[in-house]
Amino acid sequence: MLLQLKNVSKWVQSGGQNVFLLKDINFWVNEGDFISIMGPSGSGKSTLLNIIGMLDHFNEGTYTFLEESVHSLKEKHRANLYKQYIGFVFQAYHLIDELTVKENLEMPLLYKKQGSSERKALVADMLDRFNIVGKKDLFPSQLSGGQQQLVGVARALIASPKLILADEPTGNLNSKQGDEIMGIFKELNKEGVTIIQVTHSEKNAAYGSRVLNLLDGCIEC
Amino acid sequence: MYTLYLKIAIRHLLKNKLYSFLNILGLAIGLASFTLIMIYVNYERSYDTFEGSENVYRVYMDYKKGNIYEPGDAQTYNLTGPTIKRKFPEVLEQVRLYKFDEIVFTYNSQVFKEKNGSLADPSYFDVFGYSLLKGDINSVLQEPNTIILTHNLASKLFGDKNPIGNSIFAFVGGNKTMLRITGVMDNVPETTHMKTNFLISYSTINTWNTFDKYERELNWNQNHFFTYLKIDKNANIKTLKTKIMTLDFSDNFDERHNIEPLEDIHLYSNKPYETEINGSATRVKFLTAIAFIILILSWLNYINLSTTKSLERAKEIGIRKVTGAKKSQLIIQSIVESVILNLVAFLLVIAISMLVLSVYNKITTGGELILDMRTIKQLLPVFGIVVFGVMLASLYPAFLLSSYKPSKALKGKIRTSTNGLHIRKGLVVIQFVATIVLIIGTIVITRQINHLQNQPLETSLNNIVAFSGQLLTKKDSILSTKLELMKNKIKKLPNVSHVMTTQTFPGDDFMNLSSAMGIIYPDGTNNNNKVYYNYEINSPEYFEMMDMKFVAGNTFLSHSTYKNRQVVINEEMAKMIGMSNPIEAVGQKIKFWSEDWNIIGVIKNYHHFGLKKPVIPLIIRHGRVDNYMLVKFDTTIISTSEFMQTITQIENLWKQTFSKSTFDYTFVDKQFDAQYNDDKQFSAAFRVFTMLAIFIAALGLFGLSSYTCIQRKKEIGIRKVNGASVFGILKLLNIDFLKWIGVAFIIAIPIAWYTMNSWLENFALKTSLSWWIFILSGVITLSIILLTVSWQSFIVANKNPATTLRDE
Repeated sequence: MLLQLKNVSKWVQSGGQNVFLLKDINFWVNEGDFISIMGPSGSGKSTLLNIIGMLDHFNEGTYTFLEESVHSLKEKHRANLYKQYIGFVFQAYHLIDELTVKENLEMPLLYKKQGSSERKALVADMLDRFNIVGKKDLFPSQLSGGQQQLVGVARALIASPKLILADEPTGNLNSKQGDEIMGIFKELNKEGVTIIQVTHSEKNAAYGSRVLNLLDGCIEC
Repeated sequence: MYTLYLKIAIRHLLKNKLYSFLNILGLAIGLASFTLIMIYVNYERSYDTFEGSENVYRVYMDYKKGNIYEPGDAQTYNLTGPTIKRKFPEVLEQVRLYKFDEIVFTYNSQVFKEKNGSLADPSYFDVFGYSLLKGDINSVLQEPNTIILTHNLASKLFGDKNPIGNSIFAFVGGNKTMLRITGVMDNVPETTHMKTNFLISYSTINTWNTFDKYERELNWNQNHFFTYLKIDKNANIKTLKTKIMTLDFSDNFDERHNIEPLEDIHLYSNKPYETEINGSATRVKFLTAIAFIILILSWLNYINLSTTKSLERAKEIGIRKVTGAKKSQLIIQSIVESVILNLVAFLLVIAISMLVLSVYNKITTGGELILDMRTIKQLLPVFGIVVFGVMLASLYPAFLLSSYKPSKALKGKIRTSTNGLHIRKGLVVIQFVATIVLIIGTIVITRQINHLQNQPLETSLNNIVAFSGQLLTKKDSILSTKLELMKNKIKKLPNVSHVMTTQTFPGDDFMNLSSAMGIIYPDGTNNNNKVYYNYEINSPEYFEMMDMKFVAGNTFLSHSTYKNRQVVINEEMAKMIGMSNPIEAVGQKIKFWSEDWNIIGVIKNYHHFGLKKPVIPLIIRHGRVDNYMLVKFDTTIISTSEFMQTITQIENLWKQTFSKSTFDYTFVDKQFDAQYNDDKQFSAAFRVFTMLAIFIAALGLFGLSSYTCIQRKKEIGIRKVNGASVFGILKLLNIDFLKWIGVAFIIAIPIAWYTMNSWLENFALKTSLSWWIFILSGVITLSIILLTVSWQSFIVANKNPATTLRDE
């Protein structure tokens, strides 16, 4: 088992009352899963994904990631954990505008203090694998949305994470580009990478092995 | 890793060209202005400093005015120094200097004039820390008729040859003497009130007939000597000062001796008979204040701009965190960026400073200002503080942003705490205060200078040229006849309306005016403690020529002889001798210098020393003086070439009459106006630096308003969708700034009022601090601010709400 959430709840105070964003979530993920989280707007999909990605806190419950109790870890350890095992893909790509494709890919490795030759090899690998060698010296603004998202996925993968979290990765793309990205996810999953995606589209959800339906912060309630 | 930091930093700066430009420019202008002002201030403060200069004091005379003593004369008696040294053991050494107004030297065929030099006691080198390059330090300045030259003067005369043992001739007032060169001293720096190119042994006073017996005999009557004391560094200066002040020297209780530190003379002393027009401590203080204001403004500006900008980078910081950046790595990134920015700004500062200095040194005649190691060393701590401050400013956003949760940062939803906003608002209010104070300062200073220049002088100096020369031959009996002949010839030249000779003229050196105490009034009152001034003119035409109006009586009778002892006095003098109406004074006798003098006319008060100084009581005597020849030209002359043509004709006549003589001339009105040069320069500098300060403040404001606009983009969108007009939104965005200006205005008014009032204290005639100056400065500030702010607000207010709202 890669991770497990037990009775996780998150709420915010509003007008003296607790408004639940997530309520009593129980949920586990095995290595090699490809899970799609679905649900209407405001159902808590992104919140759940952020909690899994350790970018956000929760108020109640337990979260175990690779046998570590995330909820009792200190901020620093938690950050180390996600930096090591989790890659993020965003709807709005979130590439750094001032860096070229190659440099954007290289960034996570730099933060991990990997050696120069190793970095070069990994970046070359990724460029090759995603067929963007020709684009390596371009800046994000010079790429189409689909190409930017390819870079986004490549960046998420470069540090070889166990888990990829994708928040509506195809939300800003047209259907052809979307299919391409989903195809890549499928392939990655076959290679053993665990993937959790948030999506609105039934079609994209069908790429996954399991679908999680959220409504008002609950799983199928 | 660092290459990545550098890359991001440089690309970020290049991408946001406007922002980088404003930020670097603000910083560079601020630091460069600061550096330049401080170089000037350091220069002014470096006057008369050498090893041991802190133990050197100058003796001066206090005169009693009413019941209090006031500094009355920078020069002392020839007995002053020796007496003080003998009586007070803590006075280690004294030196007397008799400064020459101008001296002409001849060596072989070379003739050259020197203004800066004195008679000096042999103890000169014990008091002043200058070194003797050639000659015997124990014997120089001992023997009469010996001279020491500075290195520069020696090489001008003798080139590479050793000048020691050679003799040169010196002329003062037609009196010639031979001087043997016994030493060469190091060049005396420009930064001294006592500029010196040569020193003649004091004992020469006894052999040179330009000095009379009153100057040779040790006495308590004639104070023509500058006296400097070297005081034991452990001595109690206060006690010594009291002892010197109470020194009983000639049973004269209307004057006393006093001492002042040598180092303070240039900035703090402004007595009659100074060696030169000294600097002004007030000016230096004002400039220092402006320097620091500009420095602080540019710093605040940097903080405002960079915080604002980095908040826009929330998303980027979020991405970095998510992809694995540690807090420390984010902070380093921030620092790298500010280091680059500062480095560029710093290079600009050096470039700007060098450029401005080279231009400045070209257009001014005084000492050169240079950016030397000493200045740099003095400025270093300040720069350190600035760089530290800038670092701090860059760390603030780094800490702030890196502490946010990436999930929030990614959405760009970072709002600063209200605290942060308060700080920024506070900074802006400070900037406004500085701006308002500086604007008021500029208006007041400009008005004061105009006020001075628009005052009626009660004399007209236009078209008058003062000629002077130094005879290189012995004065002979026919000299005055020759002079009269020449004057008649000049009078006949076309375009010349008046020719006459005089002792001095308005705007001329203090040295050429005689000051005296001790006068017996017409009613017999013997007043010994009021200073009055007098000078001699040779022609009754003087008053007509100078356009000085008589309020009573008339000018000297043209055929009266000098022995009639006729004098014309001014209104101030008439008041001093107890005449309520000037008409009463005419025909009365006053007694001074053991003679009776007949008052035949009273002229309106005119400003002999410019309008900064009050009007002095003045007596103008009729005599045979020939210091200067004044020539007035017809007002019909307009072109400079015509002027020069006539001056050349006069020069030719002069050379025909006096075959061996120097020849000099000066335009009287220009020389008079030169008295205000320092004030004019100060006013110009103040204006320039005020504008720069306002510009920098505007940059900071621009930053803050753009930040506010970004923060409120969504709000504005919603308001517009719900029907707000562009004007309504502008009002909404600008109302805050208006409030801040109000606060700043209230803080600024008392500060400005107090400082400008104290500046105006320096002038005898002051402009008024009218209320409208304050209102005007408020209006100017308001318009500058509204213009800066509205540019941003207008763009935001006009944005299509569909785009602003979609971003969220």
